[in-house]
Amino acid sequence: MIFLTVGSQVPFDRLVRAVDHEENRGRVFAQIGASDFEPQYIEWVKFLEKDQFDATLADAEGLISHAGMGTIIQAVSLAKPLLVLPRLSSFNEVVNDHQVVTARTFEQKGYLLAAYDEQDIPGKIAELERFTCRLPNDGRSRIVDHVSSFLDGLDA
Amino acid sequence: MKRAMNICIAASSGGHLTQLMAIGSVWEGRRHFFITTNPVMARKLAADAQAYVVKNADRRSPLGVFGMLMKCISLFYRERPTVILSSGAAVGCLMSILGKLHGAKVIWIDSIANIDRISLSGRIVRPFADVFLVQWPELSERYEGVTYLGSVI
Repeated sequence: MIFLTVGSQVPFDRLVRAVDHEENRGRVFAQIGASDFEPQYIEWVKFLEKDQFDATLADAEGLISHAGMGTIIQAVSLAKPLLVLPRLSSFNEVVNDHQVVTARTFEQKGYLLAAYDEQDIPGKIAELERFTCRLPNDGRSRIVDHVSSFLDGLDA
Repeated sequence: MKRAMNICIAASSGGHLTQLMAIGSVWEGRRHFFITTNPVMARKLAADAQAYVVKNADRRSPLGVFGMLMKCISLFYRERPTVILSSGAAVGCLMSILGKLHGAKVIWIDSIANIDRISLSGRIVRPFADVFLVQWPELSERYEGVTYLGSVI
């Protein structure tokens, strides 16, 4: 099951419409936000409680979303294959086109797949099923050691 | 006479604070307190240590930043931190400046959201930080005096 989420803030109908096709029936589950558009082929909800959201994300084989930093970080931390469609200011989906830059940057680094036009979505969904994302460089323990050593040095 | 260690963990609520919490083991067992911008978050942190709230402000509101500075000064004199640990944004920047003026050590971890360029508050703090970490390798090549050890999340 592929999980489509538009985030909790603003709907993203252009993405939902691009995914709502016969071939995705039973394959994609969508959280569509406060939208008036009701998908015909894919199962959907408007909102999910945090627990349900986290569980759905954990169970999903892949994720489709906007190129929001929070979503990207969450997906990359879980090594979850992610396909993004950046929100565009020309469609009044977002205040500026920073999502395009974010998408390109993370795509170049191998962390996700990106579509820049909704027509590319079907091809990219097929690619998503074969995609293995690069794992984040988990430096947490190195950073903790580095900072702790520095603090120990102050105590001495 | 050396002042006892007191770590000020200062970060805007949200991504900035979340990233610092990921390395929370560094302040366990050491005296510390929190400064953040969301009262709900502060209440959660208060279970562990003193947690102060300052009203969030950024470069779009100079008056707001001034108000934040006044609050930070008052908190600084109340707690007298010897170490400032921050990931941004404005509240971390202000506490870092206040800290450095009073001889405190400054540890900065620039947010993972800054991929191509260090944040504005980070750029202000970098010249005087004692530890400055970035979470993307390209940034350690672009700037001097920064360290890359990976990402906190």
